[in-house]
Amino acid sequence: MEQPTSKRQRRGGFRITYQLALFVLLVFLVLLFGILQPVFFAPDVLFNVTTIIGEIGIMALAMTFIITTGGIDLSVGYNLQLCAIVFGSVYASNHNVPLAIILSVACGILCGFLNGMIISRTKIPPLVTTLATMSLFRGISMIIAGTNTYSGFPDSFKKISTTYIFDVIPIQFLYFIAFFAIFNLFYSRGRLGRNLKGIGFNENALIFSGINTKRNLLFIYTLSGLMCAIAALIYLGRLSAATTSMGNDLNLQVVTAVVLGGTSIMGGIGSVSGTFIGVLIIGVLRKGFTLINFSGNIFNFTLGVILIVALVVFAWLEERKKNSGKTSKYVA
Amino acid sequence: MKLKITFKREFILGLIVLAFMLFLALTTQFATRNGLFSMMLDVSPTIIGAIALSLVIFTGNIDISAGTILGFVSYTAGELAILGAPIWLFAPAAFLVGVLLSGLNGYISVKFKVPSIVVTLAMNMVHLGFYATFLHNSGWLENLGDNFTWFGRGQVFGIIPFIFIVSIAVAALFIFIMKFSKFGKSVYAVGGNRLAAIYAGINPDITVIKVFLIEGLLLGVAGTLKAVTRSDVLPSSFQGREMTYIAAAIVGGVNIMGGSGKLLGAVFGALLVYLLSTAMIYMGFQDYFQYALQGIIILVAVFITITDFSAWRKKRAAVIAEPERN
Amino acid sequence: MLLVPVEFHLGSERSPMESGKVSVGSEIALRIEGISKSFPGVRALSDMSIDLRRAEVHAICGENGAGKSTLMKIITGVYKPDRGQMKLDDEPLDIKNPNEAYARGIAIIFQETSLFPDLTVLENLFMGHELKKPLVGKLKLISILDYAAMEEKAEEIFGRLGMSVDLDARVSNLGVATKQMVEIAKALTFDSRILILDEPTAALTNKEVDTLFETIRKLKAHGVSMLYISHRLDEIFQIADRVTVIRDGEHIHTEEVAKVTKDELVSWMVGRTLHNLYPKGKAEIGEVIFEARGIVQGPLLKGIDLQLRRGEILGLSGLAGAGRTELSLALCGLSRPDSGQVYIDGKKLHFANYRQAMDHGIVYISEDRQKYGLIVPMSVSENITLPLLRSLSRRMGIIDSHSERRINDEYMERLAIKAPGGDFIVNNLSGGNQQKVSVAKALATTPRILILDEPTRGVDVGAKSEIHRIISTLADEGKSIIMISSDLPEIIGMSDRVIVMKNGLKMGELSRAELSQERILQLAL
Repeated sequence: MEQPTSKRQRRGGFRITYQLALFVLLVFLVLLFGILQPVFFAPDVLFNVTTIIGEIGIMALAMTFIITTGGIDLSVGYNLQLCAIVFGSVYASNHNVPLAIILSVACGILCGFLNGMIISRTKIPPLVTTLATMSLFRGISMIIAGTNTYSGFPDSFKKISTTYIFDVIPIQFLYFIAFFAIFNLFYSRGRLGRNLKGIGFNENALIFSGINTKRNLLFIYTLSGLMCAIAALIYLGRLSAATTSMGNDLNLQVVTAVVLGGTSIMGGIGSVSGTFIGVLIIGVLRKGFTLINFSGNIFNFTLGVILIVALVVFAWLEERKKNSGKTSKYVA
Repeated sequence: MKLKITFKREFILGLIVLAFMLFLALTTQFATRNGLFSMMLDVSPTIIGAIALSLVIFTGNIDISAGTILGFVSYTAGELAILGAPIWLFAPAAFLVGVLLSGLNGYISVKFKVPSIVVTLAMNMVHLGFYATFLHNSGWLENLGDNFTWFGRGQVFGIIPFIFIVSIAVAALFIFIMKFSKFGKSVYAVGGNRLAAIYAGINPDITVIKVFLIEGLLLGVAGTLKAVTRSDVLPSSFQGREMTYIAAAIVGGVNIMGGSGKLLGAVFGALLVYLLSTAMIYMGFQDYFQYALQGIIILVAVFITITDFSAWRKKRAAVIAEPERN
Repeated sequence: MLLVPVEFHLGSERSPMESGKVSVGSEIALRIEGISKSFPGVRALSDMSIDLRRAEVHAICGENGAGKSTLMKIITGVYKPDRGQMKLDDEPLDIKNPNEAYARGIAIIFQETSLFPDLTVLENLFMGHELKKPLVGKLKLISILDYAAMEEKAEEIFGRLGMSVDLDARVSNLGVATKQMVEIAKALTFDSRILILDEPTAALTNKEVDTLFETIRKLKAHGVSMLYISHRLDEIFQIADRVTVIRDGEHIHTEEVAKVTKDELVSWMVGRTLHNLYPKGKAEIGEVIFEARGIVQGPLLKGIDLQLRRGEILGLSGLAGAGRTELSLALCGLSRPDSGQVYIDGKKLHFANYRQAMDHGIVYISEDRQKYGLIVPMSVSENITLPLLRSLSRRMGIIDSHSERRINDEYMERLAIKAPGGDFIVNNLSGGNQQKVSVAKALATTPRILILDEPTRGVDVGAKSEIHRIISTLADEGKSIIMISSDLPEIIGMSDRVIVMKNGLKMGELSRAELSQERILQLAL
């Protein structure tokens, strides 16, 4: 018995309207902060938002892939910190920027690879794995840095993050757009995206179609590591100091951006463009809070609340969808 | 190769004794009255914390906001003490705070079917932000007087701290509860095989909420015990503490996937983790080595628990996915 | 009839037994009257009536899908019947959930799923209904678990069963047979008087089967009534008092085991007329293109040889547990055999994974399409093209949506999949159409050899014949097919040759001319 096609049943229907709502929310927030602090509307302020989300945005893109498979990567914040510390310490001893960049990137890839190997080759779940590597990366970064803070990077390096195109558009915005375009392409129209969604729904079905799911998983966690390294470099260009507390708050922002963007924590359903808007929302919030003198802690607090609310709402919607029509045969 | 598992508790016990002795050999300072005293002082809250997290892990859940809950607990205790409350007032109040916060986590997780990892990840940040936003000075309290610290610094026989006695008593109580109550068995059941638990007449949702409430109580105790050893309170200093508790539990044989593990093991795990990190400090490693150590410990311990070594040995046909026998 | 001196242990207050003698055939312990149960699209049970006498071992016999499992689930409270009633000791029985069943004294022995692997035998035995004693003296306020009492009862129960089991052993360390004993013991902690054993010998060695039968006899002696579900006829003759044959959800015949022969049982199990709804094309059967020799795997597959010719439909028959699926998985790289070789066109091949098998033109369609065959929340198109993604995304890993659509349309039409379009979500399709998508997915890889595992399971009659037509067409086109089916008419109607398996061994091979339901069952049972 086929039912007539409705917007609901066309996959993506629900998600597209959700992203529209999200975009509306973004606009609303911009207006809200603008009213509270008119200076918010100035173009350079608005664009400034994108400078502060450069790191989060890039990591969130990779995180979208990971959460789509039903996994999670809690180690991104400290992975970034470790890459930054590696950069800092290499530069401090060699004053060789390209070398520092290479080693930093290698570090990120290695960390991601470690996660990927453990998750794809052993039965240890992504949660536990990245919980442990989170500690590991943090510890290693602290061991390397000791009590040092690395700074004094050359201007040529800082240009990575501080250049402005046409004197208005920060280069981070372009990074973000570029990465977003690539990730979005492969996610929505690429084989990789299809595989990841499949893994999130039913990994067995993919195995029985001859797809090497282990390889896909290894790839996305390694990719996440790479993104952490790139994000670290961008962060360093902006802050020009590598400290052992850089990574503390990043996790929450990344995960919130992804969940807010409509990617389901259970896997299978997701949206890179949703993450894009989610990241922008977080950037607007952060900039807005700064302008109205709310501290970083209030920001974290708000973010935590947003995440919980988003999770609860999505979970509740899922339950409603599941319970409609299907009567359970089982009493349990 | 499961034979190893039954020996594990003794194994850890042996390790502790070994570490202990290694210790004594390494440095004389440890074997002194002061050294032992501070060890018992430091390890008491960890013992309770390890038990708290173990209970949650038994049900197949996790709580990574336990650290920030401790922050609330310590703040409550301190603030009430400043207002003049004696210990038999501020302690129960602090316990209650733990129960409520943890219960909230459990409720959200169960009612909305959101995995506890994500709930507690978010709540962790909510807690932190709350300190900074709503508590004066982010909750930093100082110069707490004797009405606060007398219990924390008090001792018996000149060497055993009060709080150590409390922690041992609590540990003993819960070990007893887990072994001799229906509830204890049901906790393992829910984490071990949820469907079978339902068939056995156990309600998994209610059990999980109860466990979170109990965890909250234990966190309340742990937080209060820790707080009263110092004359100042800084809620955010507890952030991340749960990783130590989790590491302790896992080292003690608690299976991260839920369903098995012994609280006694968790207690030994707490001791061992403490001894390991103290040993490292004595050997010259800075204290942040413990982060890396915790990470490695968790990975190795989980790997050992999860991997089915017997399959390796037999090198049987590796079935990728197992359809029903036909 | 067993007449055995008995010590009264069971402690059931309801029906005290005559001390000294227990004989089968006195009262009726459980009465099932007119039970009917339907699920969407399929009628599982029609007007089923059975009675179970006290201390009787009553075998229930029938092919896969005859309704045995549904009946048991109704008795133990997992399902509710649409019609009919049950009576326990002449009192009406209305069970709302499995717990109630336990409380009323009815227990079912699962294989393993209701045990807690990391807990001890003792803990498993009493989970949820532990024995308690007051903490202090007679004070009922606080009570704690009474291990002594539980150990005593457990030892007594195991003693009754004639076994000694280490109560502190972790269940995960036990063998399958012992786990089963624990399940039985668990049922007895409830003082269960009715025990249902569902294919209990499926995973047991011969020696373990003997031990199980000893246990069953002991239980009988204590007045426990048992429903024994099995299609292993030899066992039924060994252990059962009466046997009931059910077929297609209906009660066919009940008879005392002593008065019945294996052939009669077989004929009752089969007894349906063969409608000729199986379109058999005029496929030319060519040379051997696929061969397997000596496939051995684990405890089940003990050395299977198999040959498949071009254009041939080879039926693989046998009862559940015979190893047909396991064999199929081993043949196409989804699992690794311990030994044995596979040849395609005479060339020896080794498949390290399923992808390699697919590259050589072999494809496997799983019997559980929801779990292994399809990604149910995704669209028809996405499912069909899933195995082809690599070739569809030659350009930088981006999927060519034109080609995707083309393939989707081609196969939707070819298999007459009824859906408004390729974007339709598979979850909303009927069982038959879902199965067609599963087949389409396999066909899209243009295979030469297809292994179909229960291709029409859970599919309505109309779609069934369509799928059969598709299979025949494939054979006409020169493809070779191995078809696993528990539906005898289907196997007989469609196959050019049939291999019958039992317990991981090839019991026989029948050519089309020799095919009959009786012949197949005789080999399979």
